[in-house]
Amino acid sequence: MTALTGVESPPARPPVRRSRRGAALSVVVAALIVAVALSLMIGANPLSPQVVWATLRGEGSTETTYIVIGLRIPRTVAGLVAGAALGVAGALTQAFTRNPLADPGILGVNAGAALAVALGVALLGLRDISALVWLALAGAFVVTIAVYLIGSSGRGAADPLRLTLAGVALGAVFSGITTGMTLSNPDAFDSMRSWNAGSLLGRGFDVIMPVLPFIAIGLALAFLVGPAMNALALGDDVARAQGADVRRIRVAVIVSTTLLAGAATALVGPIAFVGLMIPHVVRWTFGVDQRTIIALSALLAPVLVLLSDVLGRVVIAPAEVPVGIVTAFVGAPVLIVLARRKRASAL
Amino acid sequence: MSSRLHRRLIALAATTASAALLLAGCAAPAPSTEAANADTATTREVQHARGTTEVPVEPQRVVTLEPLELDTAAAVGVVPVGAAVASNVVGVPAYLGLDGVEAVGSVPEPDLQAIAALKPDLILGTEARHSALYEQLSSIAPTVFIATQADPWRDNAALIGEALGREDETAALLEKVDARCGELADTYGVDGETVQLIRPRDETTLSLYGPVSFAGSLLECVGFTIPDQDWADGLQADISPENILSAQADHVFVTTADPSDDSTIPAAIVQNADAFPSVTLVDTSYWVSGVGPLGAQKVLDDIEQYLEERS
Repeated sequence: MTALTGVESPPARPPVRRSRRGAALSVVVAALIVAVALSLMIGANPLSPQVVWATLRGEGSTETTYIVIGLRIPRTVAGLVAGAALGVAGALTQAFTRNPLADPGILGVNAGAALAVALGVALLGLRDISALVWLALAGAFVVTIAVYLIGSSGRGAADPLRLTLAGVALGAVFSGITTGMTLSNPDAFDSMRSWNAGSLLGRGFDVIMPVLPFIAIGLALAFLVGPAMNALALGDDVARAQGADVRRIRVAVIVSTTLLAGAATALVGPIAFVGLMIPHVVRWTFGVDQRTIIALSALLAPVLVLLSDVLGRVVIAPAEVPVGIVTAFVGAPVLIVLARRKRASAL
Repeated sequence: MSSRLHRRLIALAATTASAALLLAGCAAPAPSTEAANADTATTREVQHARGTTEVPVEPQRVVTLEPLELDTAAAVGVVPVGAAVASNVVGVPAYLGLDGVEAVGSVPEPDLQAIAALKPDLILGTEARHSALYEQLSSIAPTVFIATQADPWRDNAALIGEALGREDETAALLEKVDARCGELADTYGVDGETVQLIRPRDETTLSLYGPVSFAGSLLECVGFTIPDQDWADGLQADISPENILSAQADHVFVTTADPSDDSTIPAAIVQNADAFPSVTLVDTSYWVSGVGPLGAQKVLDDIEQYLEERS
C-alpha cells in the first residue's frame, strides 16, 4: 500500500481555497439531505408530508407504513449506496482511461452483469432479485478480468487505451447476446426489464446488505488511490519519476471500479450517465484534484440518482418510470453539452 | 414438383367445377354470370385494415402473426401451418393443444424467410404491429390485417373468421362464449361484486386490465364489475406498487406463468394481505395471451372453477 500513498499530497493550500472547499462540501451535503427528504416525501402515491412524518414516527396506517417504510426507505438507501458507487466508479474510470467521456460501462462491467442475469433468468429460471444480485456481481467480475487479460496481453502493464477497446468490444458482444436472449423469450424476461432499465424499487435490505461490503471496500480503495491518481494524471513517466508504482495503482483502480460498478449494477441494474456526468460537474465546479473529485462524486451522485428517481415516480403517476430511463433522459442533453464544450473536460 | 402442381391444378379444377355446378343449380335467375363465377369461386374479397384483398375461398396454408388469429383459426378448424409466437422458447401455446404448427418468429418480429418457406396461401397480421411488413408479406401471399390488437377481441375475431371464409362458425363460437357467460352469471349471481385482474410487469409496474381487455371483458360478462381506473382505451391501467390499494376488489386474479407457484404473487400484494382477502393465480398464457374463442373458454373454465370452489 505504500506505493499507493507514496505520492505526497500537493503542498498546503492557501486558506481561501480551504474555506471554498468547506463551502462546497456543505452545499453538496445540503443537496444530499434535500434529495433524501424528497425521496421520502414524494412518490406515485401523493401522501402529504404530515402523513409521511407521522408514518416515520410509527403512527401511520398499514397502507402508509407499507409505502413509506416498506418502499420509500429501502429505495432511498439503494439510491444512496448505488449512487455513491456509480459516481466514484465514474471518477476513477475517467481519470484512469484519461477519457473525459468514459463511464464504468466502458470497461464492460454493465454488459457482463446483464449477461449473467439474463443467463440466470433463461437457464435457471431465476426471478428473485436476491438471487440475481450474486449473478450480476459474478458477471461483472468475470468480464472485468477478461477485459484486463485481453487488454494487458502481450507486453507490460495494461494500458488504458487497450483496456477501453477490450471493454467496449466485449461489452458489445455480451449486450448482443443478452438482447438476443431477451427478444426470443420476452415473457420470461418481463422480470428482467426493470432491472435492465435500472430501478431502485424492490431492493429490500435483504438485497442491499449483501452488496454493501463490496461497495465499502471499493470506496475505501478509491479514497486510498486518490492521491496517486493525481500523479498518474500527469502521465506515466512523471508518475514513475514521483515514485508511484503505476502498475499497482492501475490494478487497484480496476479492482475498485469493478467492485463499485459491479455491486451498484447488481443492486439497481445498469443506470447510465450518473458515472459520466457527476465527475464532470465536480471537475467544472471544484477543480481537478482527484481526491476532491472522488469525495464529492460520492456525495453528489446519490443526489442525481435520488432526484431522478423522484422525477420518475411523479411523471406518469399512478405508474412509475424506472430511474435508469430518467437518468438517460437527463443525461443525453448533458452528454451533448459535454461534447460541444471545447476545454471544460480537461482531466 | 410438377406432380404436386398437377394435383393442385386438378383440385382447383374440381373445386371450380363443383362450385360452378352448385351455383348453376341454386342461382338459376342469373345464368349469364357463370363465367364470372368461375373466378370468384376461387377467391373472395375481404375488407380489412389495409384495404381490400383477394383471398382464397378455402385457405389451406394459413400463417398467423397475432395470438388472436392463431386461436381463432384453430377454433374454426383451420389449423395454421405457421404462427408467430409470444415466446420462441415456449412456442405455440400449449392450451391450444395443436401439433405441427411451425413457429415463425415472435409476434413483434415475425421471421419472413420462415413464413415464405411455408408457402402460405393466406397471411393474417396486425396493422398496429406489422404495418411495415405489409408489402413484403403481400408478396408472399394474400395478407389480411386486423387494425389493432387493442380493439375489442370479438370484432377482431369476426374479421379473422371472414378472412378464413368461416364467418358463420366464428359467429357461432362467439355466441357460445356469450351463452356460457350468461349461464355462469345466472348460476352464481355475482352481480355487484368487484373484480380486478392484475398482471405484474416488473418491480416498478403492475398492470390492471380493464373492461375492454380480453379477460376483463370475460370477467364482466359473467357479472363481475371492474372498478373504474384511469384506463388507457379501457384496456389497461399501470400503477406503481405505492398505489397497490387502488387495485382492491372482492376478487383479485393475478396472472403468472405458473399458477401453482404462490411465490409469483407480487410482494406489494403479499405485504398488504389484509387488503386482499381473495387472490387467485391464473395462467398468463391464456388469460393475457390466449385472445380468441378457445382461450375465452379456458378463461371461463377457470372462472367457473373459482366460483364453484367458492360457493
